[in-house]
Amino acid sequence: MRIKSCLLKIGPLWLGLFLGIALPVLPAKAGQDEIVLRVCNWEEYIDLGDWDEEETIDLDSGDILGENSMIEDFEVWYEETYGREVRVEYSTFGTNEDLYNMLTLGDVYDIVCPSEYMIMKLMAEQELVPLSEEFYDTDIEENYYSRGLSPYIREIFERSKIQGESWSKYMAGYMWGLTGIVYNPELVSKEDAATWKILNNPAYYRQVTLKDNVRDSYFAAVGALKSKLLTSSAFLNDPEYEKHLEEEMNDTSPETIAAVQEYLQQVKDNAYSFETDSGKADMITGKVLANYQWSGDACYTLDQAEEDGVELCFAIPEEATNIYFDGWVMLKRGIGEDAGKKHAAEAFINFLSRPDNAVRNMYYIGYTSVISGGEDSRIFEYVDWNYGAEEDEEDVSEYDLSYFFGEGEDAVLTVPTEQLNRQLLCQYPSDEVIARSSIMIYFDEEQTEAINKMWIGVRCFNLKKVPVWVWGMMVVLLAAVAAVSIRRRCNK
Amino acid sequence: MKNMSFSRKSLGIPYLLFLSLFVVAPLLVLFYYGFTNGSGRFTFENLTDFFTNPNTLGTLCYSLALALVTTLVCLLLAYPTAYILATSKLKRRSVVIMLFVMPMWINFSLRITALKEVLTWIEGNLAYYPFLNSVIGMTYDFLPFMILPIFNTITRLDPALLEAARDLGADEKEAFLKVTLPLSMPGVISGVSMVFLPAMTNYVVLDMLYNSTYIMGSLIGSYFSAYNWHGGSMISLILLVMICLFTLFTKTEEENPRGGALL
Repeated sequence: MRIKSCLLKIGPLWLGLFLGIALPVLPAKAGQDEIVLRVCNWEEYIDLGDWDEEETIDLDSGDILGENSMIEDFEVWYEETYGREVRVEYSTFGTNEDLYNMLTLGDVYDIVCPSEYMIMKLMAEQELVPLSEEFYDTDIEENYYSRGLSPYIREIFERSKIQGESWSKYMAGYMWGLTGIVYNPELVSKEDAATWKILNNPAYYRQVTLKDNVRDSYFAAVGALKSKLLTSSAFLNDPEYEKHLEEEMNDTSPETIAAVQEYLQQVKDNAYSFETDSGKADMITGKVLANYQWSGDACYTLDQAEEDGVELCFAIPEEATNIYFDGWVMLKRGIGEDAGKKHAAEAFINFLSRPDNAVRNMYYIGYTSVISGGEDSRIFEYVDWNYGAEEDEEDVSEYDLSYFFGEGEDAVLTVPTEQLNRQLLCQYPSDEVIARSSIMIYFDEEQTEAINKMWIGVRCFNLKKVPVWVWGMMVVLLAAVAAVSIRRRCNK
Repeated sequence: MKNMSFSRKSLGIPYLLFLSLFVVAPLLVLFYYGFTNGSGRFTFENLTDFFTNPNTLGTLCYSLALALVTTLVCLLLAYPTAYILATSKLKRRSVVIMLFVMPMWINFSLRITALKEVLTWIEGNLAYYPFLNSVIGMTYDFLPFMILPIFNTITRLDPALLEAARDLGADEKEAFLKVTLPLSMPGVISGVSMVFLPAMTNYVVLDMLYNSTYIMGSLIGSYFSAYNWHGGSMISLILLVMICLFTLFTKTEEENPRGGALL
């Protein structure tokens, strides 16, 4: 409701201002039968095709190769399968907040892919169209999403609720991951890296970066502040551990916010910087020794460093890790009552969830798909293809991913032991690590405001830090300037 | 269509359109947001908020300090350079000037990236000196804007004035202090305004050189990404007022240069 009144208020204003600009770029009227699907996704978050022959992923069940972009393939597939033409208008966004601002300023999309907290915000503001019942019908062959969704993710989506409705009613997952620390094992020990306290560890003065993003920084700070409690055996053995972990990590009491602010101020004076995108490159060039990173980007960083001959590792902090999801949701203002559009949007999700397409996207962007494949073994084969140990490898470990792929004999891999700290951990974390993952809920308006205020406080220059002598000097200087100018006037 | 020829006035229409659509209209939006609150009511709250909040005041002071130091450094580097260039008898003076302007042809973020590497090499770790780095980055970026106007005013000085000063018994130093310097003030002032104001808001330099402290530009951005359009708009308006005051002040100075009495 709130969002509606807000839109009504600014609607005419924006309409007047932007109609002139917006009209020419509105899509030309589509052919009668053609469906136009307006998709907005993260930048570089889908396979754009054009792979080299050598990049072919040769799985037992067949080769996978991205020739055309995923979008083109979808358009062809949709027409072949359902006999109707569809045209995708694809655009991208940079951050969740950017997307939200684009939507409130009047951009219209049918289907978008924000992170879970933004989806919760959109759900709470009743901006979303629920997924149809048919979408979850596993008897339909083309329902690749519901047939292939990992049981672990499915359980989270059904359990997590906002305003009494579970996520799965509106959201179809796309990629997921954890937050952790990328570090240089030559100069940072694993013990130091595997805790949020590394951010203000004076041993790494000005050599650790973290995210320029209030939610990620908040989570890390809470983890560091509550480190003792979170790693105590009493807490870990609590029968309701999961529930309490989530409560602790989403604590927004005024005292916690104040403590976080103080902590982050220390971090600001100790860390290298808050970065938006430069952390990956700075890790590789060796400017920093450790970097707070999302697992998908961590995987990419490790790959890139390897190409440059640098070996980096990834660690999941011992206190807790933030499990995050990016998912597809349909927007009321785009889809509306248009059944054809809705069908195409759901088909789009299904197409992306088809195991071979999920593999293509994973290979291309480095993140991890929520799809485990169900009866289709190609995702698991891909993981094995990627990380499985060669036959002559000596130092190998068993790696159990049954939490993700479902109970079964197939879910145990044999991998080189070093991978336990490397890309494999980024892409498919072990169940031991997963046990201490917590989602970060969507904070309501009041909490968000308090946290944003805290964040601005951290980043702004603190006048109290100016020593008295500087103030004194400034007063003297100002007085001198005033005296000179007055004398000048008098002389004239 | 009786008359196909354009009057001179109609040539201004494209610019008028541009102006109203992209300058006036956004300004109106800025005013609307700056003086309303979340529920659309008129309020001065955003204004009073700005001047009572230690965060925004701290940012204002920090930006002012940064801009002031940058301007001073630019001035100290640019004036002698411009003076030497303008008074030298170099045949290929324009080539030398070109050398100073050329960096502007290269993409700005590319230059700062290069600077980042150089500074890392010199300092060992960029993050040790965030304020210094920001000053260096800004100076690097804005120096040509300071050199050019000063150079222009000095080259346009009437040499007869200097000759007259010497005839009347002034030595080199006196001639410079009493003739060249006062008469080049308009150039200095336009150089200062071209450096000082952008230096208060150009937060990209700080971001790229890893200074995590907000300046005015980044503060506005942080308000917007926290969906606080009203507070952010107010800060923009306050900056606008500061710019207006500054221009007003420098304009009276320019119209009435202190050297005027000499002429």
